[in-house]
Amino acid sequence: MNRQIRRLTIALLACFTVVFIQLNVVQVVRADRYNQSPTNDREAVRDFSRDRGSIITADQVVVAESIDSGDRFKKQRRYPTGALFGHVTGYLSFVYGSDGVERTYNDVLAGRTPELQLENLDDLFSDRSNVGDVILTLRADLQQVARDALGEQEGSVVLLDPRSGAVKAMWSFPAYDPNLLAGHDFDEVGAVRTFLLADPRNPLLANSYRENYLTGSTFKVVTASAALESGVYTLDSFFPPTDSYTPPQTDNPIQNYEGSTCGGTFPEVFRRSCNTAFAEMSVTVGPEIMVDKAEDYGFNMAPPFDLPRPAESSFGTVDFFEDNLPLLAIGGFGQGETMATPLGMALVAAGVANGGVIMEPHVVAETRGPDGNLLERTEPQPWRTAIEPDLARTMTDLMVQVVNDGTARCCMQLAGGVQAAAKTGTAQLNPEGEPPASHAWIIAFAPAEAPRFAIAVMVKATPEVTAGTGGTVAGPIARQVLDAALAAEPG
Amino acid sequence: MIAAERRSTELGLVVLAALITTGAYALAALGRTADLPADLAPFLGIVIGLLVAAHVTNRFLAPNADGVLLPLAALLNGLGYAIIARLDTDLAGLQATWTLVSIGAYALTLLVVRRATDLARYKWTFAFIGMALLVMPLVPGLGFGNASARLWVSIGPINFQPGEFAKIALAIFFAAYLTERRELIAAGGWKLGPFNLPEPRHMGPLLVAWAASLLVMIGQKDLGSSLLFFALVVVLLWISTERASFLVFGAFLFATGAVLAWSQFSHVQDRVDVWLDPWAQAEGLGYQLVQAVYALAWGGTTGTGLGLGDPSRIPEVQNDFIFAAIGEELGLLGATAVIAAFVLMVGAGMRVAVQAERPFEKLLAAGLTTILGVQAFIILGGVTRVVPLTGVTLPFVSYGGSSLLSNYILLALLMRISDSVGRPTAGTARVGWRARRSQRRADRRAAGATAATAPSTPGGVPA
Repeated sequence: MNRQIRRLTIALLACFTVVFIQLNVVQVVRADRYNQSPTNDREAVRDFSRDRGSIITADQVVVAESIDSGDRFKKQRRYPTGALFGHVTGYLSFVYGSDGVERTYNDVLAGRTPELQLENLDDLFSDRSNVGDVILTLRADLQQVARDALGEQEGSVVLLDPRSGAVKAMWSFPAYDPNLLAGHDFDEVGAVRTFLLADPRNPLLANSYRENYLTGSTFKVVTASAALESGVYTLDSFFPPTDSYTPPQTDNPIQNYEGSTCGGTFPEVFRRSCNTAFAEMSVTVGPEIMVDKAEDYGFNMAPPFDLPRPAESSFGTVDFFEDNLPLLAIGGFGQGETMATPLGMALVAAGVANGGVIMEPHVVAETRGPDGNLLERTEPQPWRTAIEPDLARTMTDLMVQVVNDGTARCCMQLAGGVQAAAKTGTAQLNPEGEPPASHAWIIAFAPAEAPRFAIAVMVKATPEVTAGTGGTVAGPIARQVLDAALAAEPG
Repeated sequence: MIAAERRSTELGLVVLAALITTGAYALAALGRTADLPADLAPFLGIVIGLLVAAHVTNRFLAPNADGVLLPLAALLNGLGYAIIARLDTDLAGLQATWTLVSIGAYALTLLVVRRATDLARYKWTFAFIGMALLVMPLVPGLGFGNASARLWVSIGPINFQPGEFAKIALAIFFAAYLTERRELIAAGGWKLGPFNLPEPRHMGPLLVAWAASLLVMIGQKDLGSSLLFFALVVVLLWISTERASFLVFGAFLFATGAVLAWSQFSHVQDRVDVWLDPWAQAEGLGYQLVQAVYALAWGGTTGTGLGLGDPSRIPEVQNDFIFAAIGEELGLLGATAVIAAFVLMVGAGMRVAVQAERPFEKLLAAGLTTILGVQAFIILGGVTRVVPLTGVTLPFVSYGGSSLLSNYILLALLMRISDSVGRPTAGTARVGWRARRSQRRADRRAAGATAATAPSTPGGVPA
C-alpha cells in the first residue's frame, strides 16, 4: 500500500506544480497583456483614483481640482466654475475618457512626467502626492465678461495676446458643465452624455476651436494683404462703384450686400467692405497668390494648439481655383468654401497686430510641481509669418478706418478713447428652402498703435442674428471684452 | 522525546502563524483605511489564544501527532480570515465565530475518537450518515440552493452545507469497507470473458454506495464534489487492492462520465466553454473567471499589498475565488506560499498514511489527505484555468462555516491517526496484543478444539 500512497503523493504534487506554473504564466508572463486587455479597467481605475493636480486660471481661480470622494475611486474631479471653463479644462470621465487640458496635460496632472517621477523617488517615504498643477493663460474675469457679453446666443469669443499667442479668454455657447461628465454614477453620466449629444447645437464641441464657420468679410483682411503684397494693387487703386461683378467662367454676377452700389479707393472699399471689389481683386491676383496668402494666415491647416484636435480651417487649393475662378471670386470675400474657427480668425487679427507674425496659440502658461516650483513654461513661438511688418502697418491703418469710418463705426469705440482696429463680417448662408441666415463676425485688436489684445467674435446664424450685420451684432460683444481686457491688464 | 519535540515545534509554529495572521490583518486595515485597526491587541490575543488552545489539546489528546499539520491549517485559516476581514467585516465576524466553533470541534473530535480504528466499527452507520447528509439538501422545506447548485440545508437559524461532512463520513465508510474486503476484491474470482473481476457480493455494496452518492451530487449539480468523491473512491480502491487496473478502470469511468455529463448537461458545457475561452463571455458566464485572471495578473509578482487591491470586483470572491484575492494582493509570492502550505499538508498527511501500521488507518489517512489535496487542486486549478471551474471551497481559506468545520474535523482525524503512529508505546502494545493472541490460540489448542472455524479477522498486520 505504501508504494501506491507514495505515487499518489507524487501525483498530487505534480498537480500543484502545474498550478504553480500556470500561476507564473498568469501573474508574470502574460500579466501585461491581461492588464491592458480592453475588458480590464483596473489600470484606468487606478489612474482615475490617483490624486490629480489642479487647473488654475491666470488670475488664480481654480477651475479643476480633485477632492476626496469616499467611494471606490477615492477621488472626485470637481470643476468649481462649472460650464465657464468646460471647453478649456475639458472633463475627466471614467467612462468617456478625457478632453481639453485634462487630456493634453494628463501627464503633468497625474504626476507622470519625468520631473515629477524623479520627485516621487525623493518622497518615497512621505505621504505627499507628486502631481503637477496647470496654470492657464486664460483669466476667469475676462472669461466671465465674454460669457456675459455673448449671452444666450450661439457663438464664440476668442481673446488672445497677439505678442505671445496666449489665449486670454475663450468662450463658446452652448457650453456644458464638466462636473456632469466627471461623476461616478455612470448611469447618470451616460444619460447626461446622451442628452448632450442629442442637442443639435452640440454643446460638447467647443465651437471656438473645433468647428469651422464661413468667415464672411473678415477674410477680406487676407485678400487685401494678397492684393497689396502682389503689387497689382496699391492704396491708390480705384474701384469704380458698381452693384455687380461677373467673374470669368460664369454668367452669374456677384452682388454687394443687399444689392447696394459700392466702390472707391482701396481704403474705401475695405472699410465699406465692397464684395464686388474684393471679388475682382481675388480673380486679378490669381489663385496662386490668393492661396499662398491664405496659407500664410493659417488657412488650409489647423493651428498648433495645446487643446485636443483643433479644426482645420479651409480656403481651397490652387488647382481647384484654376478651374473654378467664380469660386475664387466669392472665396475672396469669405463666402463659398472659406471657413475658419473663431480661434483661426482671432489669429488672423493677431497676425496683423503682431507685425505680421502669428504666434502659436496656447491656453497653458506654465506647469508647477507640488511645491509650486516651475516645471515648464510655454515659451512664445512664431507659427506663421502672414505679412511683412510694413504691410502689417498698412493693414492696421485700413482696419482702424473700419472702426473710425466704416462698418464697425457703430460699435467699436473703446473706453478711454483707446483706438481699436477691426474688420466685420456677415457670412451669408442662404440655406435652401429656409429664410436667409448669416453668421455675424468681427475680428479686432487694440490698442491699434501697440496691440495687446486681439479678438474674434462669431455669433452663429439664427433667425434673430440675421437681422444685423457683423458690426452691430458681434461688434458690441468685442468692445465689451476688449474694454474689460484693457482694464484688467493695463499697459 | 519525539513527542515533546513535536509539540514544542508545533507551539513555535502556531505562534508564528498567529503573528503572520495578525500582521496580515493589520496590514490589510492599514492598506484600506491608512489606520491600524483599533482591536489589534485583543485580536492577536484571541488568535494566539485559539491556536494555543488547539495546541494544548494536542498535548493532552494527541501528544505524538505530527507537529506541522495544525500550524499549516492555522496559517491558511488565518490568511483567509485576513482577506475576508478586508473584504467584508460582517462575514469576518461570522468566520471568526466559525473558527472558534471549528477549533472546538477539533478538540471534541480528538476527545471522542480515542482510536481511529474505533471508527471502522461504525462503518455502516457512517455510510448511512454520509448518504443522509448528501440527500438532505434535496428534502423539501429543509434544503435550498441557487440556480447553479442545491447544496444547502437550513435548520433553525443555522445554514450549512451537509456535503462537506458527507465526504468525511463516506471516506470513513469506504476506508473501513475496503480494509475488510480488499483482499477478496483484489483476488477477483468472477470470470467474465478475459477479465477476472471482483466478485459482485464483495464489490456490490461499494459500487452501490459510490454510484448513489455520485448520482446525488450530480443531481445537485455539485460538479466539484462529484469529482472529488469519484477521485477519492478510485484512489482508495487502488491503494487498498494495490492493483493499477482500478486506476485504469477509474480513468475509463471518468472519461465516460465526463463525456456523458458534457453531452447531457448544459451547465457542464458552460463550464467547459468558459474554461476554454472565458473572454468569449467576458460579461456573462465568464465574468467571474475573467475578473479572477485580471486580479491575478494585476497582483503580478509581489502583489498590490494587502488592502490595496480591488478583489471585490470578483463576484463571491470570499468563497471559491479567495485564491484570486490572495494572488492579487500578495502576488505570486503569496499565492505560492498558499500552494506550498497545501503541498506541505498533503506531504504530512501522506507521511501519516505511510507510517500508519493498521490498514484502516493507512487508508483513512490517505483518503482524508486526498480529499484535502484534490479539493485544493480542483479550486486552485479552476481559478487559474488549469482545469474547468467546479465550485468547491479552498480548504481552511475560503469563507464558510461548513467548510471550515469539516476541514478541522478532517484535520483532527488525521492528527488522531498520526498520534497512534507516533505513540512510542504502540510497538509494545502490539507485542502485548500478539502475545495475548498466541496465548489464546495456545489455549484453544490446549483445549483440543477440533476445527478453528473462526479465523482471526483479516485486518492484521499487512504482509
